[in-house]
Amino acid sequence: MRIHKMTAALIALGLAATGATACADESGGAGGTLKVGLLASLSGTYQAIGTDIRDGFQLYLDMHGGKLGGHPVELVVADEGDGAPTAVPAATKLVKQDRVVALTGVVGGGSAAAIQPVIGPAKIPFIGSNGRPELKDVSHVWHTSYLSQETGAAIAQYVKDNVKGKVYAIGPDYQGGWDQLKGFTDAFARAGGELANADGKTLFTPFPATKNFTPYFAQIKASGAAAVYTFYAGAAAIDFVKQYAQSEVKDLPLYAAGFLTEGGVLNAQGDAARNVYSVLNYSPDLDNAQNREFVAAWKADHDGPPTTYAMASFDAAAVLDKAIGAAGDNPTAETINEAIAGLGQIESPRGAWQFSKKTHSPVQKWYLRQVRQDGRALSNTVVGDLATVGE
Amino acid sequence: MKWLVLLPAVALAVAVPWLVDDYTTATLSRLLVLGLVGVSVALLTGVTGLPTLGQTAPFAAGAYAAAQVGLHEVGGPPVQLLAAAGVGAAFALLTAALVVYARGVVVLMITLAIGELAITVASRWKAATGGTDGLIATAAFDSDRARYLYALAVVGVVVTLVLLALRSPAGLLLRASRDDEARMRASGHPVTAYLAGAYVAAGAIAGAGGALLVTTQQYVSPADFSFDTAALLLLGVVIGGAGSMLGAVAGTALVFAARDWLSGLLPGHAPLLLGALFVLTAYLLPRGVAGFDWRRIGRRDRAASPRAVRRANQEA
Amino acid sequence: MDPYLIPALDGVAYGLLLFVVAAGLVLSFGVAGILNLAHGTLYAIGAYVAAWLADGGWAAVPLALVAGVAGATAAGTALAGLLTPVKRGDHLTQALLTFGLALAGGSLLVSAFGPEDLPVRVPAALDRPIDLAGHSYAAYRLVFIVVAAVIAVGLYLALTRTRAGMLVRAAVDDPQMVACLGVNPTRVRVGVLAVSGALAGLAGVLGAPIIGPGPSTAATVLLLSLVVVVLGGLNSVVGTLVAALAVGEIQTLGVALLPTAAPFLLYAAMALILAARARGLLRRWSTA
Repeated sequence: MRIHKMTAALIALGLAATGATACADESGGAGGTLKVGLLASLSGTYQAIGTDIRDGFQLYLDMHGGKLGGHPVELVVADEGDGAPTAVPAATKLVKQDRVVALTGVVGGGSAAAIQPVIGPAKIPFIGSNGRPELKDVSHVWHTSYLSQETGAAIAQYVKDNVKGKVYAIGPDYQGGWDQLKGFTDAFARAGGELANADGKTLFTPFPATKNFTPYFAQIKASGAAAVYTFYAGAAAIDFVKQYAQSEVKDLPLYAAGFLTEGGVLNAQGDAARNVYSVLNYSPDLDNAQNREFVAAWKADHDGPPTTYAMASFDAAAVLDKAIGAAGDNPTAETINEAIAGLGQIESPRGAWQFSKKTHSPVQKWYLRQVRQDGRALSNTVVGDLATVGE
Repeated sequence: MKWLVLLPAVALAVAVPWLVDDYTTATLSRLLVLGLVGVSVALLTGVTGLPTLGQTAPFAAGAYAAAQVGLHEVGGPPVQLLAAAGVGAAFALLTAALVVYARGVVVLMITLAIGELAITVASRWKAATGGTDGLIATAAFDSDRARYLYALAVVGVVVTLVLLALRSPAGLLLRASRDDEARMRASGHPVTAYLAGAYVAAGAIAGAGGALLVTTQQYVSPADFSFDTAALLLLGVVIGGAGSMLGAVAGTALVFAARDWLSGLLPGHAPLLLGALFVLTAYLLPRGVAGFDWRRIGRRDRAASPRAVRRANQEA
Repeated sequence: MDPYLIPALDGVAYGLLLFVVAAGLVLSFGVAGILNLAHGTLYAIGAYVAAWLADGGWAAVPLALVAGVAGATAAGTALAGLLTPVKRGDHLTQALLTFGLALAGGSLLVSAFGPEDLPVRVPAALDRPIDLAGHSYAAYRLVFIVVAAVIAVGLYLALTRTRAGMLVRAAVDDPQMVACLGVNPTRVRVGVLAVSGALAGLAGVLGAPIIGPGPSTAATVLLLSLVVVVLGGLNSVVGTLVAALAVGEIQTLGVALLPTAAPFLLYAAMALILAARARGLLRRWSTA
């Protein structure tokens, strides 16, 4: 008798739950569709990265029936352009006109900083998938990418162990470049390595103005360095690698943050990029179930393999999927943000990772990759695991 | 008669934030800020005959000054505004010797260089500017409506002051110097000093624009002062009719509104549509919105305007 | 001196590339009185064509040259047509029109060729470093120096020894007088912009391995060639050559000598030189 009552109660509970879900679905069909804003560079210098970010998120939606956490999602896309002056009006539109419940994307660190005064008062969670600026308050800011210092920090020990001699550090003169190189040089010094640079300071080149790296290569040659560590992305990465391969320092091993040879950039560099070592949180040849599925789906309508930019945006969608699912029947910006804070491990094409409680960016493993022949094309092949970084 | 038009226009401008949504109000605030910098560009390009791509430099100097005044809790928006105008004027005073002797396309390139050097300094001087990632400023107002009304008041006052100044003998001297420099010099006018005065005034206005940028956007970074901004400001002023101050506000507002609106409408295609807009404007409004005859600017053989020179001589 | 040999040589390569582009710009400004802000886009057309056609073989080189130059020449001619209603010397309307065309044109190039910076494949024999007094230097750039020097000399001879060239120089000095000689100004404008486009296209094809095609190519090239043209005195081909080589050396040798000042060098030098010249402290280049 007692058991019957229990069963009846359970059934009732189940029905109520289904009813609730059905209700949510109904409201989802009409007014309950969640609007998610995606801000990325769809024009200008960073268009290639911005398109990857848009497509990575869209791919996750397509693979999950256009729903996140059981709710139909309307993705509102806006153009970040070249930086803050275009990113701010676009974000203002997403927040104040489209009234999105969460915001994702953003290529540039400057753009990500610039939109904080817009999204801050609205208390909307921002799940950035690329550039991460230094911020005082990260209560509503999450990144699926990395902190700029982590890339170089992850490879420093490996470089120290494998290079017999001093290493020359060179990078672009802007915040991303400073952080990327500082991450390397600090960890390299801790590991007991020595820089070949004059007075031990990293050489920074004007960015994005530098098209010609020849004078810098002459300095590297004169310094007597045994290897070079660098970080460039986009057009500067192409110029650097192509000119390096024909310069006076062509025989010095080149170690880099993975962006140097990532995506379409590698195609433009061609043979000049062969054998370059790089460190990144992702490579399309990683052997796990999530990655195989992701790469296959990506290749179905793209020419090349997915990039780390697409992967980070795919993961931003996965984060929102889990968080919205855990945010109750009527998810709001505030409940979604709380749910993100409560997420545990996230299974991702890059391997499992989780948000750091302190920085709100991933605690994740970094990989050593080398540019090698893969069939007809060159590709970044994983040759080993490096450190797991994040606090 | 004029008041019959002006009063309802002012009333409408004040009432706007109660008539539209927050997004439109925020957009209008941003356009007012850029419009004010457009006034400084028009003062040089149209009235003084010094076409400029460099007003982003005092704009930047003013913005960073205002942001620092705010972050160090020295004072609220009015203090920031005065500090920014002062720093903008001081910046112009320091660079005037590079600018006021040149004419035409050469001025464009010198001012372009000044603008580029200014953002290079801004990008590297991290302690004062936050570097390329920029500086998040203290919030002075807590609503879009308040930010808009403050910007409207400042822009209204500054534009009125500029219009009054241009109607005074000073304005006449500037126009006469532009139209027939040789004759003004022959009559004993220190033309270079007049131009320097206008350049410093324009620096103060752009600096004030910087303070407004910080107040409305609560963020400032070198990207706000890039070559793109400088070029769009100049083209906005050309569309507005170069010599007209209200035309400058309208022209720059039109250009930036078009860019942001088109970008929201068709993400990724803003450059194409903005380009088409420029081409159309060049054909449909060859004299700009205000119809000012700015074709003489940049030409080496300046068209003489004997009447203006004579009047200037009488007044002085 | 030894560590500065390669930067100095590279400055010549870079300077000559800037010269070939800027020569087109100075012709359109000096002769036709046109401030063409779409000039960088004409270079980009040449560079994109080179990336599209070049496959690493020798046969593709003349093909890319012909197609790239033809494409940019056609675009230059079209520009002349579009500029017909705008008066000579009305630089601000020209700026509005050509900047608009540059924005739209750049956007169309990106839709056609994609948002990535494209690879440009040069013949294998040139795609390697060669040994030069104990230093390595890209073979392509060395060959480029020779080719660009030939173009520069050819341009100088064409301007000083041919009837068309003399007409061009006369038009710089005194446009009214040339009009009085019965030369149709419309034909002059179309001709000059076509030649200007051809030079930009030629520079684009030859320079693609140095400044490659991508979304920011047009803006980079436009800005640098404007700097060169204005430094060169706005109406002089010889002045433009000297300015181009100076800008090339500032960006290579200057950077090697003063690495900490690198971000300021170019624009500081330009502002000071132009301001000094405006005050009459430096003499202007004579027309040639």
